[in-house]
Parts: sequence; structure tokens; C-alpha cells
Amino acid sequence: MSFYPILKAPGCTGWTTLYNFPPNNWETRRASEKYVSVSWSENDEWKSTTIGTIKPSSLRTIKESEVASSCPRDSLLLLSLSETPLPTSSKSLPKPACPATSFPAWRATLGLSAASASTSYQGEIDPFPEKGSLLTFGPFMQFADGIENFLVLVNVENSAHIRTSRVELFDSKSKELRGSFPCRSNSITSVSLDGLGFTAQDLPLVICRSMSAIPLYLAKTTDGSFLSLEHTHPPSCFVIRGDRWGVQRILKNRWFSETETK
Amino acid sequence: MKQFRERVKRAIWTYRQPLTKVPSRPGAPVSDLFVWINNADWQTCFELMDIPGLFDGPDSGEEATVIFFFFDAKGEKLKTVELRAHKNARYCVNLSEHLTDVAETHGTFCVFHAFTPAAVSYLGSFVAERGYVSYRYRNAGLRSYVHGNLDAVALIDGTNLEMLGSNSFLRRTFNLQCAITGDAEYKLVLVNPTSKTQMIESALHDADNGKLTDEWRVELSPRACHIFDIPFSPDITRLARIRSHLVMARPVVFRISNQKLDVFHG
Repeated sequence: MSFYPILKAPGCTGWTTLYNFPPNNWETRRASEKYVSVSWSENDEWKSTTIGTIKPSSLRTIKESEVASSCPRDSLLLLSLSETPLPTSSKSLPKPACPATSFPAWRATLGLSAASASTSYQGEIDPFPEKGSLLTFGPFMQFADGIENFLVLVNVENSAHIRTSRVELFDSKSKELRGSFPCRSNSITSVSLDGLGFTAQDLPLVICRSMSAIPLYLAKTTDGSFLSLEHTHPPSCFVIRGDRWGVQRILKNRWFSETETK
Repeated sequence: MKQFRERVKRAIWTYRQPLTKVPSRPGAPVSDLFVWINNADWQTCFELMDIPGLFDGPDSGEEATVIFFFFDAKGEKLKTVELRAHKNARYCVNLSEHLTDVAETHGTFCVFHAFTPAAVSYLGSFVAERGYVSYRYRNAGLRSYVHGNLDAVALIDGTNLEMLGSNSFLRRTFNLQCAITGDAEYKLVLVNPTSKTQMIESALHDADNGKLTDEWRVELSPRACHIFDIPFSPDITRLARIRSHLVMARPVVFRISNQKLDVFHG
């Protein structure tokens, strides 16, 4: 079963709505009250605490402010639903006992709010392999006075150890490196995309050679009156059927070698 | 024995009912069935990228042809538009500029990349456009983005459309895991990615006590879309269920609060 992060981004507060019912009527019919837990990484261990329960067919919204005080500052807060309580401490990411679905995956509403606007998407996160990498193209920047653009990377791995990697931003056409920033595992990393010289016709390329992550793109007005949030797909989603992972390997090999910084 | 029984139960729902069928022609490009809305309050844009160009094979050029097919709300073809996508660049297409000769205010559209890289064909795959639509509501300061929902249509031999959605043997319920809260206006938009007309039943239930509050039935032709306008109800939170023979009747959700739009798929 997946986890549901509480998002963080500059100028915004995060909230997550959990649903204790499956997204369809056929993949699982098991209805049970479930424990709601929050997990985070601390001193190379996963800590978890139960914050309540949700009855079947019900929902619950949890704000960052409700749970942040229990955890170290800047922790990635991972919510989960489970039929049994999670261990309070573990070396490896706990596995919530809850039925899984595929059509679609069992999701939560992951949201951000600012002064007078909110945005959300339906999502979940599963641990990435430690040997993973990230390649994605992000056509979401919006250009006008008073608009800020951010790349928000969300990573979770089985090991609670927080390691550092680098995310690189290139212009796809010229292959010019426009910026390089540290990013951390088991964390949310926000990077400002403004001031890197991207124009409306440029296609930003995001690469992290030693870490996978969910790449979210947030646009917001500086007064917090408008927000826009979406994530890009991995390269395997540019095709259907056949050997999609083989296609992804081709794209990663090509773009990683063309942007190798010396 | 228990595992065997579980597998049989699941097979009733999955046997010969894939979410997306395989296109009948190798190398046929595939597209989502996106939703366009165009009127005094709404503007729709599409992020055009040369996906085949990302492979940069010896057979790719600096520009590539991309074909847009526009349909009305009943799924009837309105027009096609051919555009050129520049390699490794981005072009935000304002669809309203291509719909000035169209009286309809909403419908569906597909985006097909005319060229398939040899590497993709060799691996038995099909180029798929599942990319990014954005909507601007009432001259808002930002457009709101949503990515494609499902691989719905293939273009065969450059002109014929093949619907790739499957018809489910049994009626399925899609439980929208999204709270319809009382502080906003909502629209749920469903499309029909199959080749058969589908009966869609949509119902709203009070999240606190499960009581039915609203329900609708519509018939959707292939490629058609329907906008369920959710009646405003400030005092309660509701949950939506959609029943149909679609393998996954996942809607696009538009949420408007204080004139501000958010859009996502369910």
C-alpha cells in the first residue's frame, strides 16, 4: 500500500485528504476501519505515529500544522492508511496493511493552499529504488509579472537514511546547463525556475542522475491569489505497449550522455 | 485454493477487458481524448512538444507534423488542424484560436504525432500523446494544468480513428476519491474512449451519512463528452460514484472557488 505525502512549497501550506474507500467496486471489497499514521525519517530510522482512524466510506483531511509539531522541522510527512498500526520505529519504510488497487491506484488528494487560492492533484507515492534516476521535460512555466515558478521534487526510499544528490536543469535545445541544485532523499526539495533564463519557447529538461523523484511544477502569483500544480510523467509514458521500459532506457541513455557535465 | 478463487474472481473483470487495447496497425500514433472548453469564460491551451524528436534518431528532422482532431460534445468530428512542432522546444497552443469557426462551446480533441521513431517501433511500442492541457477561467492570473487521463484513440493510416477503450462485461462503479466540498463549484467531465455508446450513471452521496443527494443518467457516443455540473450545496461534503461499462470511468474534475479554477483528473 502507498503513502500520501503532505506537500510543501514556498509560500504555501500543505494538506492531504485520505479516503477509506477504494476507487472501484471490484478490485477489493474489504471494508474496515483503518489507522491513519504519519511517518517521517529521523536519525536514520523511520518513525511512525498513529493520529487517528477513519471509518469505512469516510474521509479525513490532515493539515501540515496538525502533525508537524510531532516531527523534526522540514521532515517529509508521509500519511498512510493501514488495518494494523505501523511500528513506531523501523530501519526500512513500513508497509501499511491495506488492499492495493490498479484501476486506478488508491489515491488521496494532495493539496497546497496560499493566501486565497488552493490547488491539488490526486496522487500517492511508493518508495523509489536507491539506484533510480530522473529524466523529465517540464513545459509548465508561466510567464507574466508577478508569477513565480517552482520545481518541487518528492522522494521516498525504503532506507530512512537521507542522502544528497543533485538536480540539474537544462535547456533541451541547446543542452545548456541552466542550474544545478542539491536535492535530498526522503524529502521535498523546491527549486525556483525563475532567473535561470528559460523563455516561453524553451523546454526545460530536469535530470537527477542518482535519485528518482516525483517532479511537481507549481506556478503561483506572488500575492498567493492563484496557484497551479501538476506533475510530469516519466519517459516511459511517451509510449504505450511493447517494451516501455526499454524505451525509457533509450531516452535516459541519450539525454544523460548529451548533458554529461565535464 | 483461496488464491485460485481470487484469481478467478479478478478474471471476470480483466479477461479481454484491458484499459487500452493494442492499436491494430504497428506504428499507429495514440492520443488521449482531451476536453476543450471555449466560450466567454473559458480558454483551453495545449502544450505541444515534439515527442518523437526527443529520440533524435537519424530519421528525425528539426520539425515534425502534429495533427489535432477536434470533436463536438457528441463525438462528431469538427475539423483537423496540422501544426509543426519544433524539436526540443515548447509551444503553448491556444486552441481557442483554432476554434473561432466552431459554434460549439465544448467537446473533445486528440493530438497525433505523425512520425514514429524506429526505436519505438522496434520495441513494439506506440507513440502516445498523454500530455498537458491547461485552462484559463475568466482571465485568471494563471492557467491551470491537467495531464491526460487515458490512452484512448489511435490514428490508422493517417485518417481513420480507432477507439482503444474496452467495454466491460459487467457494470463497474468508479468511486471518485475526491471530496466535493461545499465551498466550491464543481464540474465532472467524462469522455467515452470506446467504440460503443455508453450509458453513464453518476450519483452524489452525502459523505457523512451516505444518503443520495443527486443523480444523472447520460448516453455518450464514442468520443463524446459530458459535463456534469454539480449543484452548489454549501452545507455538506459529497462523494461521487460513476456507474458504467467503461473499464475506468475516471472524470476530469474542475473546481471553481472564488472565481479561481483548479483542474485535475479523479
